[in-house]
Amino acid sequence: MKADLSEYVTSRVAILDHVRRILRDTMKLKIEPEAIDPDAPLFGTGLGMDSVDAVELVVQLDTVFGLQLAGSPEDFVKIRTVNTIVDAIMELSDES
Amino acid sequence: MSLEDEYRAVRHSAALSRMDHVGLLRLVGDDAIEAVDKVCSGDLWVRDGRMLQTLILDDQGQPIADVYVCPDNDACFLMVEGITTEELSSCLARHVQPDLDVELKDLRPEYELISVHGPYAWEVMSRWLTPDIIGLPYLSFYHFDRGVCFRAGKTGEYGYDLMLRNEDAGDARRELLELITALDGAELSLETVDLCALENGFFSVRHGSVRGLTPIELQLQWRLSTRKRFPGVAAIEERRARGIRRRLTHFVAADGVKNGDVVRGLGAPVGEVMTAAFSPAAGGLVGTALLDISVAHPGIDEFYVSDRDLTFPIRTVSSPLLVNRSLLVDPRHHTYSTREVAMDPPLWQGSLP
Amino acid sequence: MSHAAQITGWGVASALGVGRDHFRTALLRGEIGIAPIHRFDTSAFTTHLGAMVAGYESDDRDPSALCHEFGSLALRDALAHARLDPESLRSLRVALSLGASLFGDDNTERLARNLANELSIEGPAITVSTACTSSTQAIGFGADLIREGFADVVLAGGIDTLTPALFAGFHALGVLSEGPCTPFSVQMGTTLGEGAGFLVLERRGLRDTVTRALLRGYGLSGDAYHATSPEPRGRGVAAAIQSALDDADVTASEIGYLNAHGTGTSANDTAEWCAIQSVFGSELGCALPLSSSKGHLGHAQSAAGVLEVITTLECMAAGLAPTTAGFDGPRRGGPPRPVSTKKPEPLAYELALSSNSAFGGNNCALVFGTREPACADAEESQPVFVSTAAPLCAGVSSVEELASIFESKAPRSNRGITVDLAAELPRVDVRGIDRASELLTTVTSRALADAGLSLRGTARERTGLIVGNLRASPDSLERFHSSIVQRGLAKPDATSFAQLLPSAAQSACAKALNIRGPQSTITIGDGSGLMACAIAAWTLARRRDSDRIIAAALDVPAKRLAGSEPGDAACAFVLGTAPTSVEIVGIGVAGPDQLDEAIARAQHRWGSTEPAEFVIAPRNGVYAGLAERVNPFAGMRSTSSSFALAYALGLLSRGRARSALVATRGNTASVAIIVASTEVIHES
Repeated sequence: MKADLSEYVTSRVAILDHVRRILRDTMKLKIEPEAIDPDAPLFGTGLGMDSVDAVELVVQLDTVFGLQLAGSPEDFVKIRTVNTIVDAIMELSDES
Repeated sequence: MSLEDEYRAVRHSAALSRMDHVGLLRLVGDDAIEAVDKVCSGDLWVRDGRMLQTLILDDQGQPIADVYVCPDNDACFLMVEGITTEELSSCLARHVQPDLDVELKDLRPEYELISVHGPYAWEVMSRWLTPDIIGLPYLSFYHFDRGVCFRAGKTGEYGYDLMLRNEDAGDARRELLELITALDGAELSLETVDLCALENGFFSVRHGSVRGLTPIELQLQWRLSTRKRFPGVAAIEERRARGIRRRLTHFVAADGVKNGDVVRGLGAPVGEVMTAAFSPAAGGLVGTALLDISVAHPGIDEFYVSDRDLTFPIRTVSSPLLVNRSLLVDPRHHTYSTREVAMDPPLWQGSLP
Repeated sequence: MSHAAQITGWGVASALGVGRDHFRTALLRGEIGIAPIHRFDTSAFTTHLGAMVAGYESDDRDPSALCHEFGSLALRDALAHARLDPESLRSLRVALSLGASLFGDDNTERLARNLANELSIEGPAITVSTACTSSTQAIGFGADLIREGFADVVLAGGIDTLTPALFAGFHALGVLSEGPCTPFSVQMGTTLGEGAGFLVLERRGLRDTVTRALLRGYGLSGDAYHATSPEPRGRGVAAAIQSALDDADVTASEIGYLNAHGTGTSANDTAEWCAIQSVFGSELGCALPLSSSKGHLGHAQSAAGVLEVITTLECMAAGLAPTTAGFDGPRRGGPPRPVSTKKPEPLAYELALSSNSAFGGNNCALVFGTREPACADAEESQPVFVSTAAPLCAGVSSVEELASIFESKAPRSNRGITVDLAAELPRVDVRGIDRASELLTTVTSRALADAGLSLRGTARERTGLIVGNLRASPDSLERFHSSIVQRGLAKPDATSFAQLLPSAAQSACAKALNIRGPQSTITIGDGSGLMACAIAAWTLARRRDSDRIIAAALDVPAKRLAGSEPGDAACAFVLGTAPTSVEIVGIGVAGPDQLDEAIARAQHRWGSTEPAEFVIAPRNGVYAGLAERVNPFAGMRSTSSSFALAYALGLLSRGRARSALVATRGNTASVAIIVASTEVIHES
């Protein structure tokens, strides 16, 4: 694997695992982090989180990663799946 | 109607499709839910009037059916893709004790399934059915005089599946099309419905081969119970213990990518294309590929498919691909006629490789 | 409902004024009691409004102190209206039925006890803790106390105060409106408030007094749906409204005005309008004068129901319909034309309905007014039977194990209980359930299973759940408080906030097991479990809204060791109208210092010339009837009396006795229950 691809994948996987652990530990999802599909929907269908869970998730993402999300649809798009959350976090660190 | 026109209708206003490919069944009896629980892969943590999406797997852990389970007091509706009613019947016979009180009724001979999808589908429904429809949550259903209304859909837009008696279906379709046309909508082919599903990351049991693949590779672990012994569970456990080698990943490409193409990167094969289709929103191809687990992540530009001496780069992406219009529409306040198009961000905010 | 209860007065302490005169003046002027909050700092939040009690806007004393003061003012105001001299209360049989849900408080019943002491109310005081339906339910139970003969005068209502934690929790859930709330109108969201209100309910013919109105009926239900969202089609609300109409023996078309819960949130108002249309029909529903008072009073939570009833009573007396503040056009999915004039609008009506709904899906509706019932017959009392008992605490998971502790001198185990609810209920999603909910759901599910009952079809609507519980689950409390400590008031843990109610366990249990019938959470302090049995028994005997009720007790004390706590306990009984081998033949409820009176009342109900063969009743902390043994479950405040009853039932089923009396002296009431083998009854 090329060096920068390898680096990209490594940092991505680290964030992916961290987000999955947050979902397992602070949300009611009592499944192993590896069993959380990166592209599975978090809300509605998929992992079945609800609006009350969304409130807590937003707080966690701010506290742990500094990712600040308002209630707008544009921001909701960022928390549709674990992968979209990772995208948003990586974008944040690219910006800084 | 061209694909572009149909696509514009479903992504920007409202559209109607006949869902003849979906099996409709009703299980009745004291043990109806228990019987379904025996064959489906997921925990049936679903209340009356709600819907749960789950799978039926074969003994190798491969998905053979994509199912919505819809408990209705002591009965249960099933909306099934991938297997016939006879096949489902044999599946139940195989896994469910014969003394359970459950009877399977195929609703297809008497009922049609018509769907209305789109960012303003709710507006069509509030005129055709009731203004209260805006209060029906996603993945819920209820009975009305002419049939059952399920709020579901696999396009990523507001979606309502109407189960109607055959004798009412013709009139209903006509009335709905009239309302839809008034919103610049259209009737959809199954091809367009499936394209929307692909763009929004909905698994399709009718596309691509699942040979040798389990829900783990297909990113469908959320449909698996962690405590139940369901058909295929042993194969799943074995696969989990072994570790998967590949995972389904979404991608976009300018062109040149077809189902079954080998995906290469860095001089070696890294996977295989499962499905690909042209997306008007992206102006290029969208699809899914099975990629080596070490690189099965969005945001990678290094891969391509080749055809003789032509190479066609692909870019892996997160799913869903789109900022669906439905996310920006609030049925409590908006209407189609007063929408402010200039305010809308583009449907697709990525770029092709 | 038996028409023994009249309303002879009422009193308030509210955002529209303290005392009826101020309240009425402000109400009839169409004033709004919502203003920027001064009591605590709201700069970290995106909204800053509340409806504080007039004159107390900056008063930041302890919530218990504020609640007591509001309650005291409203009670005295009500007594004055009813022309009852507070000094004379001692000579009457007076009871208190109080709606209060002090978040996180260890002793929810303390408020009732202090108010009862202050006003020399010597009869029973029951506290209903079901959040926004607390005072509405308290009014219904208050009328029951009169019908049952346990009181002649009942002060029924509720009290609540707006605290920073409450504000933070609602804010985190995103349900607060930016401006003053405008129910049924375009702006979404609610505004929190506070206050106290009481009705004086009185036995007819007790004394020469003015009947200002009659409480014609009430109805209860549970959504069994979600911790914070109502069932979207208003199924539960419709059930409570219909049940109230049935109890009042009136048809929907006889209702002249409806005071809706109408919080202004998106979820509530649409669900409620669906419910109103389903009960009244689309046409009648649209024509029915209705409004929500929350735009004027804010959402006064545990006091909301009673304040809204009083708003209606004041307006009804003046020939007016209360109005909806700030209405500037209907929202989609809401009523098209609520009463929305600036001031209450002229309307003559004799019957009104008031409805409230709460987190966790409790719903309660009341029917009241000046119209007399067509016939004065009381509902015939039907016999009530006990099917099963499911006790649970360290070392006890069956009636047999309970018996061996009562009968031997062996000490109880001091390890905690471990339950695996996911294993006991494999087809129910119990993820995220807190300790209190887990224990209650376990015993309730076991009691139902032992009775051979699985709730299908209409059985769900016909099965109720009454729980004696003193407090919220300590794990949820801990989680909420530490989220505030770590992250500040602007970022509380929203999930645990919803669990802070004493009724959270009842709601979670009802949701897990699909129990949709009449339900509530009450406390009398010690002995709450037995009180729950008494309420379940009188409900089954006299009302027609359920076929069975699970009467439960729950203890999850605050002081915890690592992991589970030896003091955790729960117990559930299935009571029903279908005959079994044990009948509840007598219930008696009286004041906390009137244990003998409670026992005498139960005995009198039974009508037997002989006393019960086996007696468990406390005498100076010791259980008489158990060889003077000290209560082995002392410290399990709600549950120990229920364990005593479960033990007594075990004796009956083993043929060791044919009748048993179990009594308890709670902090705010005494309760006595007599059970007898049905063969005995057939003999005599």
